[in-house]
Amino acid sequence: MSAVWATFSRELRAYFFSPLAYVILFFFLLVNGAVFAVIISYLSDPQLGGGRPFDVMFNSFPFWLLLLFWVPVVTMRLLAEERNSGSIEVLMTAPVTEGQVVAGKYLAALVFYAFLWAPTLVYAVLVDRWSELDWGTLAAAYLGVLLIGGLFLAIGVFASALARHQVVAAVIAVALELAVFFTGLVSALVQRPAAREVLDHLSVIDHMNEFSRGVVDTRRLVFYVTATLLLLFAASRALEDRKWR
Amino acid sequence: MIEAHDLSRTYGGFTAVDGVSFSVEEGEIVGILGPNGAGKTTTIRMITGFLPPTGGRVTVAGKDLVEEPRQARREIGYLPENVALYPEMRVREYLAYRGRLQGMPRAEVGAAVAEAVDSALLSEVAGQIIGTLSKGYRQRVALAAAILHHPRVLVLDEPTVGLDPGQIIAIRELIRDLGGRRTLLLSTHILPEVELLCDRVLIIDRGRIVAQGTPAELARASRGRRRLRVAVKGGDGGAAAVLAALPGVVAVEEVADAGEARRFHLEVEDTGDGKMGDGAPTDPREAVFRAAVDAGWALVELAEEATSLEDVFVRLTTRDTAAEPGADDGAGDSGAPGEPS
Repeated sequence: MSAVWATFSRELRAYFFSPLAYVILFFFLLVNGAVFAVIISYLSDPQLGGGRPFDVMFNSFPFWLLLLFWVPVVTMRLLAEERNSGSIEVLMTAPVTEGQVVAGKYLAALVFYAFLWAPTLVYAVLVDRWSELDWGTLAAAYLGVLLIGGLFLAIGVFASALARHQVVAAVIAVALELAVFFTGLVSALVQRPAAREVLDHLSVIDHMNEFSRGVVDTRRLVFYVTATLLLLFAASRALEDRKWR
Repeated sequence: MIEAHDLSRTYGGFTAVDGVSFSVEEGEIVGILGPNGAGKTTTIRMITGFLPPTGGRVTVAGKDLVEEPRQARREIGYLPENVALYPEMRVREYLAYRGRLQGMPRAEVGAAVAEAVDSALLSEVAGQIIGTLSKGYRQRVALAAAILHHPRVLVLDEPTVGLDPGQIIAIRELIRDLGGRRTLLLSTHILPEVELLCDRVLIIDRGRIVAQGTPAELARASRGRRRLRVAVKGGDGGAAAVLAALPGVVAVEEVADAGEARRFHLEVEDTGDGKMGDGAPTDPREAVFRAAVDAGWALVELAEEATSLEDVFVRLTTRDTAAEPGADDGAGDSGAPGEPS
């Protein structure tokens, strides 16, 4: 456990000491803020009718754009940079396992990701002040953000374990995330009902839709947690693979 | 303390290390010497558990690196060839991180860091960001990190590579200080380093151990010829012939452009008992001196060139190449392509 903690705390510090983190944070908040402002002004128009702003935000195109293209930037450095600089040699000759390293790095990325979203809670406070807000629904929505983001982060960690260069890691991660993203979309094109049902269960868009409406389905929880763990396991195996080449 | 048995490693089709066996006793300082690409780094990576061997086994303090990696790794302090630190961290923070990575209890980390900072002479820069340090200091930080958890075995891969002469001397002194109490395995391609630091030397070439022993033993074993440097004034063209006629002298080579004096390199047969061949009772230097006196030359220089480890090294690592038809690029970098870094 101490090895996981050592990796985790170093990695988290590294996030906040690198300029990249602030670039990520800046653009993340800029896009989110702009989107939210547009949503609010749209929903405030009496002609267009009301709606719940968070519901709209989490089902919007910019939300997915951020998740698909911003999460890989968060994770791309994690393992690829250790390989590229050679510091992996120090890491993997210490009495730690590949799994502990992957776990520590993943947790650091998850905390940083949560940190990215944390300022958006200010929007919630504002909405609550000038309008009405169901905090339970909001909690479900943020759970969804964390679970789906958590899966995408795991994809990113896996990609970073495969690649030697950060950019390659990011490209692999985006490709894999797009594959997951589009799996749900193709269900409309599939004829066989059984296959369609399977694909519907894999649709991250539908899942986010449910979460943002306040629906927390246990099947979704199980799906995201197992998929994340599976990917992290794959990442630790990918890291071990370097020994044999 | 370190036992390597028939250790082999192949990368794809390329064999980097081929059946290497050796052992290092507790408290011994052993040098691994070899040209670039000879398999030094690969051997060391197997000893430290970074790479599993494709054949054979290695144990450190009785623990197998593959079967009990965590227990075995705890015994080892490792300075990799490529020192990669985290440039955004401060020295003290980095060392504390390495301590925690070694599984040291939180309470002990602080004291261990202070001790390592002290013994690696880092106190001036302990609060600095690693990215701002010179290469010599970074090397010391890496060395401090390697000794932090009080390992019984210290493994250093090319510890002085890329440093300036002043830094090299400082690091060597540090290694000697640290080595006193520990078992130390050191790889290098710099010969004086081995002669200065090591009790015993393994010479590796093309993935095999081609010789081992103390530096003196190796030098003696390779002996067979002694080399004298002679310079005389006076005497004419006949000097070379006179020297060549001395008993035991195998070859005379005149050094061109020696100025006023005439300089020669003499190859003299060595019988191993300090005497010359042909049963001559005298030291070859004595014979040269007498010849000079007889001929009326002024002897301005007479010295024996010590057979250095360098000669042993060059002989051992180039002979193989000569014996192998088609290998014309020297024993040098032929091993490099397969080695990941």
